[in-house]
Amino acid sequence: MRIPFISMFTTSPFDGLMEHAEKVKECTWAFQQAIECHITDRCLTFEKFRDEVIQLESEADVIKRRIRGHLPKWTMLPMDKFQLFQYLREQDRVLDSVEDVLDWISYRSDPGIPKELEKDFFLLLDSIIAPIEELSKMVSEARKYFRNYSEKQRFVVKKIIRTIRQQEHDADTAEDIVKSKVFNIIKDPVTVFHMVRLAETIGYIADHAENAGDMMRAMIAK
Amino acid sequence: MVSEYSILVVGYILGFYMSWNIGANDVANSMASAVGAKAITIKQAIFIAGILNIVGAAFLGSHVTNTIRKGIVSTDVLSDPHLALIGAFSALLAASLWVSFATWKSFPVSTTHSIVGAMIGFGIMAGGFSVINWGKLAAVILSWIISPIFSLVIAFVMFKIIVRLILSKQDAVAWAFKLSPYFIGITSFVVVLSFLFKTPLGKRFAIDTCSALLIALVMASIIGFTGLKLLRCMLKNKKNGVEEIFRRIQIGTSCYVALAQGANDVANAIGPLAVIYFLVKTGSVGAKVPVPIFLLLFGGIGIALGIAMAGHRVMGTIGTKITTLTNTRGFSVDFAAATTVLIASKLGLPVSTTHAAVGGVFGVGIARGFEAVNFTVVFQIMLYWVLTVPAAAITSMVIFKLLQFIL
Repeated sequence: MRIPFISMFTTSPFDGLMEHAEKVKECTWAFQQAIECHITDRCLTFEKFRDEVIQLESEADVIKRRIRGHLPKWTMLPMDKFQLFQYLREQDRVLDSVEDVLDWISYRSDPGIPKELEKDFFLLLDSIIAPIEELSKMVSEARKYFRNYSEKQRFVVKKIIRTIRQQEHDADTAEDIVKSKVFNIIKDPVTVFHMVRLAETIGYIADHAENAGDMMRAMIAK
Repeated sequence: MVSEYSILVVGYILGFYMSWNIGANDVANSMASAVGAKAITIKQAIFIAGILNIVGAAFLGSHVTNTIRKGIVSTDVLSDPHLALIGAFSALLAASLWVSFATWKSFPVSTTHSIVGAMIGFGIMAGGFSVINWGKLAAVILSWIISPIFSLVIAFVMFKIIVRLILSKQDAVAWAFKLSPYFIGITSFVVVLSFLFKTPLGKRFAIDTCSALLIALVMASIIGFTGLKLLRCMLKNKKNGVEEIFRRIQIGTSCYVALAQGANDVANAIGPLAVIYFLVKTGSVGAKVPVPIFLLLFGGIGIALGIAMAGHRVMGTIGTKITTLTNTRGFSVDFAAATTVLIASKLGLPVSTTHAAVGGVFGVGIARGFEAVNFTVVFQIMLYWVLTVPAAAITSMVIFKLLQFIL
């Protein structure tokens, strides 16, 4: 505190944001493995992956709270603090949705995913992983933008946001295919409900990634 | 007379200690942005700061020294040499004590404010409240508030200009080269101008404002374009960004800060010492006494030694703590702080280099230049600023009474 100049510089939220985005990515990978295991019916490791997801989620939660805790009231950032928190919340909600999916599966894990839907669920899964993988790239490119304020760099970030939006749209399409198939193929109403809700919950993951992208767009607005 | 000579010796020691403290405490604030942005190494910072503080103190410092000494406290109290001697001595001792205490307790106090507070304390004891020139004091206090704001505005504008005219451009590097003479030129302009207006050298030539401006303009253009040539020469082969160009320019601005700091802060230590010196040498102190250059040099060397001895440790923390500072930001902060301090010195106002630097960071922060800066510090600084003046004043009063009793 003796040297006011030094005391002014506090921890940058970007380190935490990057770390959080990486955690989200790791977590979705573990999630992907859990679902794949569930679908292919070799369910012995499902719980193991689920635990891993829960573990990663709680780690991400620690990072989230650390970011918030290190931004006292009078901290000045390149963007609105409110926007940053909104962004972080959306990035974190990706994980909440991931957990929701696994919880939903665990409520009725026994019959598993009907054979006819397996391929479509795999496609849906891939389509929601893609935007998540863009998140950490987006954060690191945005950080570069806030450093050099170059129009070129801003364009790079905007392009990633556009990609995420497109990927979310693809995920929506994959979700629609699954849902319509569920209604047309499955006869058991309970399974229909379980499958439709499952597809929707998986879809939310990509929605939150898109929302995060939208928040980033607001953050880099001139 | 013997006791007066020993007082002179003790005065030298305290003056030296005070300037040592300025070097040890404040250099981190002035050199921090350059070191934090990796424009210069710790060793270079200490070297540059040391040399230029001496130069700034010796050649640019005289004007401020006068003001602190007789601006706030009426010269009436100096009519009794004995009283004046005790007063100057207790002011110096009180300020030193307060600064040491603050250093020990890690309080962010300004050495400038400490000495002003101590002078006020002495004034009140020697001649009552009436000797305090309240108008002048209000102007000084106002300058403490205005100087960070002024610095804030300059830093804000400077950073915005850099973003608008350089960073956001498609070919940012080309623009940075193109505009670099202007950035170097503006900096040189202020430095040359303050040299012409303030130094004994400038006064000897008796240059009027108009021709001074003209000379500064010509000098600035020459330095600006020479700087461009040098930059092009240095960065010819490398494929580097805007920051690399500003890194070179920032070396210049950190010199500028060191110069301004020397000019401004030396008065804190040398002001009271000058009074003691004249009282011992001549037996009285007039309304206007020029401060001998060797005293300024003495103060400058004190600052330089403070930098050399304590600077290393402080600078070490800067490198690890400030990681998000880049050269464009550093340049804006440096430029704002130094300009503020030089203009304040020119007006004879004792402002704090630290506060000007903090104001500069604030300005760049508002311009969205930093990943995270915490301004709670500003409120803490304000708190200690409010505390420093009365604390130093009361300490000074107590010492004054004690000395009056003893001597």
